[in-house]
Amino acid sequence: MSRRDLIAVRWLRAEREPAPGRQEDAYGLRGARGEPAWGELRPAAALALPLLGLCAWGYGIAGLSPAAIGAAGLLAGGSPWLVVGVLSVLCGWLLELGGHGRAWVLALATVPIVFGAPEYAWVYKHVGIASAFEHYGRVTDPASIYQQWPALFTAVGSLGALAHVSPLSLAKWAPLAFELADALVLTAVFRLLVGDRRVVSLALLLYVALVSWVGQDYLSPQAFGYLLWLGIVLIVLRWLRAPAPAGAADGRSTRLRKPLLVGLEPPPETTSAMRTIAVVLVAAIYFAIVAAHQLTPYIALAGVGALTILDLVRPRWLLVAMAAIAGSYLAVHYDLIAQQFGGLFSGANPLANASGARGTSDASSAAIATARVVDGLTGSIWLATAASVVQRRRRLGQVVIPAALAFSPFAILLAQSYGGEAIYRVYLFSAPWCALLIAVTLWELRSRLRPALMVTVSTAVLFAGLEGLYGPAAVNGFTRPELHASLWLYEHLPSGSLIVLPVGDFPALEMADYNDYDLEVLPADPQLGPAWMDEGDVRQVRSWVAGLGYRTAYVVVSRSMNAWASFYGEPRGYPKLVGELSTTMHATVVYRNQSTTIYRIGV
Amino acid sequence: MSEIGTPVTRSRMQLTACAGVAASWLSATLIVAAPAHWLALTGVLLLACVPPGAAVMCWIDTGESAAQAALTLVVSLAVLALASAAMIWLSAWHPRALLALTVASVLSCAGQLRKAQSDEPA
Repeated sequence: MSRRDLIAVRWLRAEREPAPGRQEDAYGLRGARGEPAWGELRPAAALALPLLGLCAWGYGIAGLSPAAIGAAGLLAGGSPWLVVGVLSVLCGWLLELGGHGRAWVLALATVPIVFGAPEYAWVYKHVGIASAFEHYGRVTDPASIYQQWPALFTAVGSLGALAHVSPLSLAKWAPLAFELADALVLTAVFRLLVGDRRVVSLALLLYVALVSWVGQDYLSPQAFGYLLWLGIVLIVLRWLRAPAPAGAADGRSTRLRKPLLVGLEPPPETTSAMRTIAVVLVAAIYFAIVAAHQLTPYIALAGVGALTILDLVRPRWLLVAMAAIAGSYLAVHYDLIAQQFGGLFSGANPLANASGARGTSDASSAAIATARVVDGLTGSIWLATAASVVQRRRRLGQVVIPAALAFSPFAILLAQSYGGEAIYRVYLFSAPWCALLIAVTLWELRSRLRPALMVTVSTAVLFAGLEGLYGPAAVNGFTRPELHASLWLYEHLPSGSLIVLPVGDFPALEMADYNDYDLEVLPADPQLGPAWMDEGDVRQVRSWVAGLGYRTAYVVVSRSMNAWASFYGEPRGYPKLVGELSTTMHATVVYRNQSTTIYRIGV
Repeated sequence: MSEIGTPVTRSRMQLTACAGVAASWLSATLIVAAPAHWLALTGVLLLACVPPGAAVMCWIDTGESAAQAALTLVVSLAVLALASAAMIWLSAWHPRALLALTVASVLSCAGQLRKAQSDEPA
């Protein structure tokens, strides 16, 4: 083996050696030996900056009310102290990175503290399913896809029952809890792949920044399945790596794979007994994923499949066993999948499947800016990852594992659009490995510009991610009065009532008996195609509500709906509808607080 | 089951066992006897995150502390999810039965600690 190959083999665990006569740190900030150094002040600064940042962040939070957050979002339209706080924590973290490589956990608690209720309207639907299990202890709605994939909801329901608290209490802090748990598992996975803890820390920072905008960490089966999938990756990479090929390559497939495995590190030591236990653990955890979520098992299958095809995982039949577990569960519940997603294959056009949610031509400038920021971030990250792989084309074995895991989720686009959500899931599952590859590339740069580049990339990625997350904060966050109004609905309306939402962006369905009410959202989303309704046309609205066959309807309007209509520019007729409810439609107010009004209309 | 069998390895598994015993005792106490909901909530979160995973991971050494903690968490969550889903599938919804996980965890972790003690040279 040549010297170059030896260096290549150690690449993933490499630490830069300082040049003779120099005590260069990770940023090249120190000069010649014995020179008075900034490095002596660095530990104090690394401690003080995050503390100051947390104080600034706390001060910013204390003076912030949901009403103050406009369409510009939390970063641009909230308190400047929040930005100062995040920047200060980031600076402290970057300084620490150069020393011992400890990661600072960035605060993801801003929205729960400011708004006081869980984010995202669809979280409340999940809370309702968990509440139904907690309260009734059985499947109450066999046609609900959530109740047929119950693992997360039953877990939350049982925890709620044990503690005598509503699942709403758990939902509020779920994003922070999932992010912390993901970070712990990823730390362990990254340490298996990269020896230098500073690279691990940088990769974690990039990861947190990358995934923040995609908003998949709320109380949901996919967030749960994703965490378990990271656990499976950890087990596979720790105990189920294939032994290094011995001797000359024989067989066509081995020869084809050989260039991809140049520079591959030998697997960690293990025993056959431990391999057996690892297979059992993978099967059990995978079954929990299968019972919790519809899509995650197949993205996991694509990941393990890619590693198996590259002959990086043993036993090979693990893939077959996982496919059998997923297939068996699917076979029993296939009717629901066919009903909700049009079967296993919603379309064989990967470009169409990757199109995601479409915007409207009337979206606000803030929405367009946020969309461009996240589009730019996503494109840049995948390009940077691809470039990082290409850069090591002669030593692909050094990057083959993270690269396979980063690009295998795209396989899902060959079959499913998942209701326009597939591309976001692909991004989520790809992000950790993209972050790792980019972090390693940054760390490896042999340039004086490296420190500046690392700071620039980290800051840009962090703020782009936070803009994607907090840009629509006024839309995604719900105030306590909005939640109280929603709870009032379920406590006071007779069972079987019709509840009409002009915009779906409202907390609803969070009660155990959610299924006893008919909740309808006016079909005013232009993405519905030619069938969409103009909410400003009272006659159309009246006719649509009458078609539902009820004598009375309860119409809810709220701050969050108004924020949605302003941010996304649809439904265009929402302000007009709100104005005409009590006049043309003769609606009576039955409940009102500072954020929400509930009307009753006779049909 | 440890592959390396060094004293460091053994201490990592023992640490997991100690964490399992402590978390099991604390979570069961908080769930059964806590005077306030938030204390009971702390107890159930502890139950969800540590005891079932510790019962398994106290017999397995990952070779790295973060990996040990991570797999303890992941295995705990998976076991809790499957156990609670099984209660629905079997039409036997008794969330309090999940406290049995703390008993199983204590037994498994105590077994590991006892084994480690007997393996120590006199």
